Amino acid sequence: MSRLTRRHVLTGTLLAAGAAGSLTLIRTEASAEELTVEAVLYDPDNPVLGNPDGDVTIVEFFDYQCPYCKANHPELTETAAADGNVRLVMKDWPIFGAASVRASQLALGAASLQGYRAANEALMATEGRLDDTHIADALGAAGFDIAALDAAYRENRDTWDGLMRRNSEQAALLGLRGTPAFIIGTTLYPGAMDAPALRGAIAAARG
Amino acid sequence: MTEYPHASLRLLRFALPALRVILLVTGLAASVAAQGNFDTSDAPMPPREAFALSVEERPGGARVLRWSIADGYYLYRDYLAVETSGGASVPFDSEPGVRHDDPTFGTVEVYYERAEVRLGPVPGEISVTYQGCQEGGICYPPVTDTLPALPVSAASGQGATSAAAPQMTLAQESGLVDGLMRRGGTGLVLLAFFGFGLLLAFTPCVLPMIPILGGLLAGQGETLTARRGLTLSATYVLAMSSALALLGVAAAWSGQNLQILLQSLWAVGAVALLFSVLALSMFGLFELRMPRVWNDRMAAVGRGRRGTFGGAAGLGFTSALIMGPCVTAPLAGALLYIAQTGDTVLGAAALFSLGLGEGVPLLLLGAFGSRALPRSGRWMEVVTRIFGFVFLAMAAWLAARVVPPAVGLAIWALVLVVAGVFLGGLDRHGAGVAPAARLRQAAGVAALGAAALMGLGAASGGEDPLRPLAGLRGAAEARPAGKAVAFTTVRSVPELEAALGTADKPALIYVTADWCITCRVIERRVWPDQEVQATLSDMQVIAADLSTFDADGQALLDRLQSVGPPTMVFLDARGREGAGTRLVGEPGPQDVVASAREVQ
Repeated sequence: MSRLTRRHVLTGTLLAAGAAGSLTLIRTEASAEELTVEAVLYDPDNPVLGNPDGDVTIVEFFDYQCPYCKANHPELTETAAADGNVRLVMKDWPIFGAASVRASQLALGAASLQGYRAANEALMATEGRLDDTHIADALGAAGFDIAALDAAYRENRDTWDGLMRRNSEQAALLGLRGTPAFIIGTTLYPGAMDAPALRGAIAAARG
Repeated sequence: MTEYPHASLRLLRFALPALRVILLVTGLAASVAAQGNFDTSDAPMPPREAFALSVEERPGGARVLRWSIADGYYLYRDYLAVETSGGASVPFDSEPGVRHDDPTFGTVEVYYERAEVRLGPVPGEISVTYQGCQEGGICYPPVTDTLPALPVSAASGQGATSAAAPQMTLAQESGLVDGLMRRGGTGLVLLAFFGFGLLLAFTPCVLPMIPILGGLLAGQGETLTARRGLTLSATYVLAMSSALALLGVAAAWSGQNLQILLQSLWAVGAVALLFSVLALSMFGLFELRMPRVWNDRMAAVGRGRRGTFGGAAGLGFTSALIMGPCVTAPLAGALLYIAQTGDTVLGAAALFSLGLGEGVPLLLLGAFGSRALPRSGRWMEVVTRIFGFVFLAMAAWLAARVVPPAVGLAIWALVLVVAGVFLGGLDRHGAGVAPAARLRQAAGVAALGAAALMGLGAASGGEDPLRPLAGLRGAAEARPAGKAVAFTTVRSVPELEAALGTADKPALIYVTADWCITCRVIERRVWPDQEVQATLSDMQVIAADLSTFDADGQALLDRLQSVGPPTMVFLDARGREGAGTRLVGEPGPQDVVASAREVQ
């Protein structure tokens, strides 16, 4: 069990409970921040992979430089595809600095150009750490024009920056320790998940 | 711009208490979580527990940051960052990490188990950012910890001079030990320090120990054999070396030079008293009962009389700490090395080795001197009496360090009275007295005469035992010699900075103290030198006086990154210390001239 410091008592409680239990998120009038199931699972600005009409939502808070996010990404997409009824929401939470932010910006820019899935796949398939050149190479190899992606991002900059800010706020409110973190149904699973773990969690979400 | 996660974490810390969360722990979810191979014991630790940061603060404001990394977690080397409160990045040293060729990681360097970062002195608060992952689990967002400001004694390398340190930049030099270590490893360090010890053996730092050991051996009387003499001196030398090693440990523990701290009225007074008692015992006033316990205990080792092994060890230990509070270059080097690296073991071992080197002449004295010393009869009595006076003189010399100069003079007067009386200065002889006895009496009368002069001097405000009546002369004429270099005396950091602020000239800061024996040598040999005076005439000369060693004194030492007097720091007109110009220990006039020219 994770040990808790006083600093993390509240977030830690959330996390500890989330690890083994289900989590009900409710709206709070007192707080300026809103943390609702709706906001976490159905953020209207976040692109959706998998089956947009699926009955179970998998949310992954991730970073394009997070090794475990990338290592398990193929299993995640394959499990979602095999199930056929899973909404997959990849929430950009860039925690590894400027290169991660840049990767997220260009991938979200691709969403305006109907290319989010390909951009996401290309970036998740990169190896090791990223810099601007790596990012450009990976997206270029997937057929993207970097200038166009950048322009698309800038065109809707408020939307995308707002989305990433919300993601980061949600991560904090959920007490997420880092990436990857999964919310499947309404249960929080911190850390990397392999295919059997994902299938179990999906089944649990269906009750 | 996208907000970085740690920034929002900070923001939300305030929003969290307002958040109401209802947790519905259902058995179903728990069982499924288990079924799905989701092991809750792998739940990631809070980052500050997974990467437990401890900060070691070094004298002078440097820091060593150490992370103790939990099993199954790692830190990224590349994501370590240190910034000032103003956001300027602070350079630091980090060790190479483990290089991963794993495609998942790419070519990143990571730390398992532990990580260490070394920082120079930085003014103000600093923030330390670090980032890592739980292996096979999650990667944490960057964690930023703020460290409080430290008293900085040297402006940091990147030239960020703080308000508190406006005028002085000290040279950063790799130390003596460091250099030796790089060239020849631990063996060379120990060997070199043994050699330094040998060289130091006949300096005023170690010289007083020869009569002390001589007295100890002479006190043995009939029991003294060459073997016992050697064993006793070996005990003395080992205790002395241990005391030096202890200096290293104490420096690591407290960041201070214990030797200097021991120059207090009480410590020095107690040792002076000990020497008086030893002296009286040598005069045969009483058999020393104090070491009786030791005697009994040491009976198996050797029949103890007066001086015992315990006594030898005790004398050796106190001698090193209190008799010769010399800050020599090797001692300063070892103490600074320990302070900078935290490598207590090597530093202490080097100092132990230094002590052994210093002890070589003492061992020779023990082995060969024992034969020369009489073991019984009238000569034995004479020799013990003489050493009794040596001990008495030691006591007076020690006491004079911590009492006002006039009182010191009075103490000397008293010692001379005792000497004069013991020499028979006041005896009445018949006509048929042997010439030897008359000579002895003459010496006694001379001693009494000198005592009278000193007593008069003490009563009239004299200070120097060699010129007791100086106080009777006019103030204008007083103290002509040795003061040709006009030092501005400072006793605290603000005074030092005020003094430095007054002129745009190169400066010499001379760390000194009344109790610093080597400083007396410097004052006699170095400052009166014509060339030194000529060279220093265009410089501002400041004496940092540590005679009363208190918090201000320690702050002054920290500011100058010195472990004690004598140290000379040479600053150029812009207040920067010249590289390689610092002089520690007992330099010659030429060294001072060379260092001074370097900064002019």
